[in-house]
Amino acid sequence: MRTKEITGKTVLWIFLLALAFVTLIPVVITILGSFKTNSELTTGATFLPSKWHFSNYAEAWDQANFSTYTMNSLIVSLSTVAGTLLVASMAAYVVDRMDFFGKKIYVGMQSFTMFVAVGAVVLRPQFDLMVKLHLHSSLWGVILILISAHASIFFILLSFMKGIPRELDEAARIDGSSLGRTFWTIILPLLGPGLGVGALFTFRGAWNEYLLPLVFTMTKPELQTLTVGLANLKYGISAASQTHYMMAGACLSILPILIAYVFANKSFMQMTAGSLKG
Amino acid sequence: MNKSKNAAFAYSFLLPSALLTLVLGIYPIAWAFRYMFYNYKGYGTARFIGLDNFSRILRDAEFWNSVVNTFVYAGGKLLLSIPLSLLLAAILNRKIRGRQLLRAVFFMPTVISTAVMAVVFFTIFNSYNGILNQFLIKFNISSSGIDWLGPKHAMLTVILVAVWGAVGNYMLLFLAGLQNIPEDVYESSSLDGANKIQQFRFITLPMLGPVLQMVIMLAIINALKGYESIMVLTEGGPAGKTEVMFLYLYKLFFPVGGSAASTQVQEFGYGSAVAFMSAVIVGMISLIYFYASRRMNRID
Amino acid sequence: MKKQLLLTSLSAVLALGLAACGNSNTAENSGEASNAGKASDAGAASGEKTKITYWTGDRHDAEFVKEKVAEFNETNTDGIEVELVVKGDDFDTALDLSFQTSDSPDVIRVKENTIGTFYKKEYLAPIDEYLSDDMKAKFPEMTDLNTFDGKRYSLPNYGTTMRLIYNKDLFAKAGVTNPPATLQELVDTAKKLTAAGKADGAYGFAQNFKSPTSALGRSARVIAEMSGFGGFGYDFKTARFDFSGFKPIIEAFKQIKDDGSMLPGVESLDIDPLRAQFAEGKIGMYLSYSSEPGVYSTQFPAKIDWAAAPAPTIDGKVKGASGFLGGQWLALSSKSKHKDAAWKFMEYMYSDQMLTSYQEKGFGISMVPSISATAKTPEVNGIEGFLPNQYDGVWPVYPSVAPEGMKSDDAFFKYMLNGGDLDATISDLNKRYNAALDDAIKNDGLKAEPDPSFDPAALAGKFAK
Repeated sequence: MRTKEITGKTVLWIFLLALAFVTLIPVVITILGSFKTNSELTTGATFLPSKWHFSNYAEAWDQANFSTYTMNSLIVSLSTVAGTLLVASMAAYVVDRMDFFGKKIYVGMQSFTMFVAVGAVVLRPQFDLMVKLHLHSSLWGVILILISAHASIFFILLSFMKGIPRELDEAARIDGSSLGRTFWTIILPLLGPGLGVGALFTFRGAWNEYLLPLVFTMTKPELQTLTVGLANLKYGISAASQTHYMMAGACLSILPILIAYVFANKSFMQMTAGSLKG
Repeated sequence: MNKSKNAAFAYSFLLPSALLTLVLGIYPIAWAFRYMFYNYKGYGTARFIGLDNFSRILRDAEFWNSVVNTFVYAGGKLLLSIPLSLLLAAILNRKIRGRQLLRAVFFMPTVISTAVMAVVFFTIFNSYNGILNQFLIKFNISSSGIDWLGPKHAMLTVILVAVWGAVGNYMLLFLAGLQNIPEDVYESSSLDGANKIQQFRFITLPMLGPVLQMVIMLAIINALKGYESIMVLTEGGPAGKTEVMFLYLYKLFFPVGGSAASTQVQEFGYGSAVAFMSAVIVGMISLIYFYASRRMNRID
Repeated sequence: MKKQLLLTSLSAVLALGLAACGNSNTAENSGEASNAGKASDAGAASGEKTKITYWTGDRHDAEFVKEKVAEFNETNTDGIEVELVVKGDDFDTALDLSFQTSDSPDVIRVKENTIGTFYKKEYLAPIDEYLSDDMKAKFPEMTDLNTFDGKRYSLPNYGTTMRLIYNKDLFAKAGVTNPPATLQELVDTAKKLTAAGKADGAYGFAQNFKSPTSALGRSARVIAEMSGFGGFGYDFKTARFDFSGFKPIIEAFKQIKDDGSMLPGVESLDIDPLRAQFAEGKIGMYLSYSSEPGVYSTQFPAKIDWAAAPAPTIDGKVKGASGFLGGQWLALSSKSKHKDAAWKFMEYMYSDQMLTSYQEKGFGISMVPSISATAKTPEVNGIEGFLPNQYDGVWPVYPSVAPEGMKSDDAFFKYMLNGGDLDATISDLNKRYNAALDDAIKNDGLKAEPDPSFDPAALAGKFAK
């Protein structure tokens, strides 16, 4: 019995560590690559940099205008997270808990947007609309469009909503709580893990969005986001790419996502603690 | 009275989502889709050609090749990534040492931008001096290395890269879903003598039902629609071996050309028809899955 | 408590976003207002600046252009202020969208593969009325490259040539003295170089087949053009597509691959890794554009001695011209509100001094006869081999069509990998490309008329020093 447990533990740890190793290798290569020269990196013969070029970071920071663009990226990402979670959780609540005419149409509409991908082609009508609303050269246009693409977050939250016992709603109703109040005070807090992971995914998506901010900041360079700045590090076709700066820039730009991860991860922990108490 | 009040409440909560989706989601798609009945190259007048674009789809061998590739790619990606991420979530939900760190480790791949991935994975997989082949040769696992991105193995390689990039996502979703299962259920069942595998089978899986169903559904849609990592890794090559549906579609709208190559023609009309066709394929598979998996949608 | 925290942070975020975005909105509004104001007094005598924007996708000359634009802004006496915007790969998309608003640029960088499309999309304004007789004579007029329906839309500055680029060290090691002049020599040389270099991991030949269009567009194209065939399979004599001229070229490439003289893994090779390997001395030969010397002097410092030679021909007989790409540089936007000011800026950019610096600093090879006659050889190492010689010439513009099914480059690369019946592939390509051509002539007003007197060899030599 004991030996069996020990073998089990050993197998488990070998599995976990091997998987972690395989997972981390490309990440490590990215980080190491960010210290190489362009030719060493592109030649790809070495693992460790033959000489550590910390200046790549300084150059990337400068060329991609990091300090200004990070702020813009944060505004876009955080507003998108807030908007998406609000809009999607409200919709998921009424779709899961109530019956009303048009529910199937609404769900069908959301699914439809997920099945279709016409990529940047939809940019044109979206841009036209924003021109009419005078939002075509502000970050608001970007944020609104990003929030509008909340179908997958809606479905994720919907599935988490199903895990919250309906008895709680019922109890709240008997206590005289209105539907809106029930949503804010009972459902939302219990939706924590779903909201956490939804926030993380939305944040990451908005943070990495490239084409929208590019188009909407065409005439307002001061509003550009980090991804747009990073793409500028890549040379056009008249020369080779500045891959070493791109790597350094990419390494810098993942930090905020990791910070978002730490916050999101907290929401899982909180829940476990909460349910233990209850 | 209550009913109409409830309906009013429901609509008011649904309104922001419905309005945004309709105006910024559905309308632009409809705008693009109307071109599927036209011959349109992105400028000049669009010429109405009825269903010609659809008969072209039927005889477009490249498109159907990409559909077959999509199924291989999506199937491989799902079969590897879903069980793996579920397993990882189940393990890392337990109180084992270093679970916070391990969760972060497995999440790491999902934060690296695709543009950088192209360089990194080329460094690893290229057959000339790739790190993986250097390793295989050094330890005598293979004498001359494996042509990872060549015609024979390219599909396997892009699937592995896709799995690498996806496991962290699904693991997190599953982990979040597992938070809804109270710990005391596990505690009482282990007192009853259930082992960990039995717990997983009879507690974890059923209670994870709705989340599991939804995550798999999103995973299916993502796998069928995924093309970005393939684009940066192989651009669909060699010779169409990794060309998937949405990459083919993307190239119709935005032809990838060499620098000073001839002018590339945007196939707006035909592209819209292909977009519609792919949406039908993705939609059909999703619906089949949805009905087949309805049993998971209940917590017993 | 938790909810309160959530709500507070949520509203904080929204307020933050509102403030930032609100600011940008007011900035935009005021910008529009002042623009409108300027439009009414276009003379700009009031001391207010006339603002124009210049969009380019070029990066290799960005520093130089930035400097020159700043100089113009300081020195011009007409109160013109130019804003330079350097875009990346997304230039075309961004331009398309800008033309749907009032934010389109005034001056646009056009290229040989975009000017035709921009013209059809009505983005460009003719410049004939601005051109002095001097300028008209100085800048060559090129149909479909800078002139459409008898009107000029741009003027040439610099162009791009195509060459065989080879590793002199590896040639010496293998005992090969001359770069190959025929396809057979190309195959043989690749074999010899591989035999000499393989121990050190060097191979005779390489192509960037991650994108077959990009790979064959810089290799098969120039070999075909030198041999007298249209570089994209189009025959100007008959005004039909005929890919049969590519047969020996593709067979030679396949031979090189089958011989094992091609760098392993070319299927997934991009141009940058190819260049990096060449700089390391791991590649004997490849074909590419005149932008390469710049790459090897700054980005991937070459560790070997290398040079460029004219591309080989099929059988050693030069019956055509090695494509000299270019013929256009800046164009005036049809929507510009300040065309006069924009033209003043263009005039400045097209001044002799500027064009001369372009050539001498190595940003490109001048296509303006009076400049290339006097300008010095560029300072960039290795550029000598790229300067126009008796073989270089400007081809007419190939019609662009959208055939059903596989593109020619993909079909050729598939044959290189899998073998099969190349004749059948070629006749299938001819059939599909000609069907698309007929369709474009019938429905899109494409003009393609046979020119029996067309002689590709006559194109060559006009730019040689």
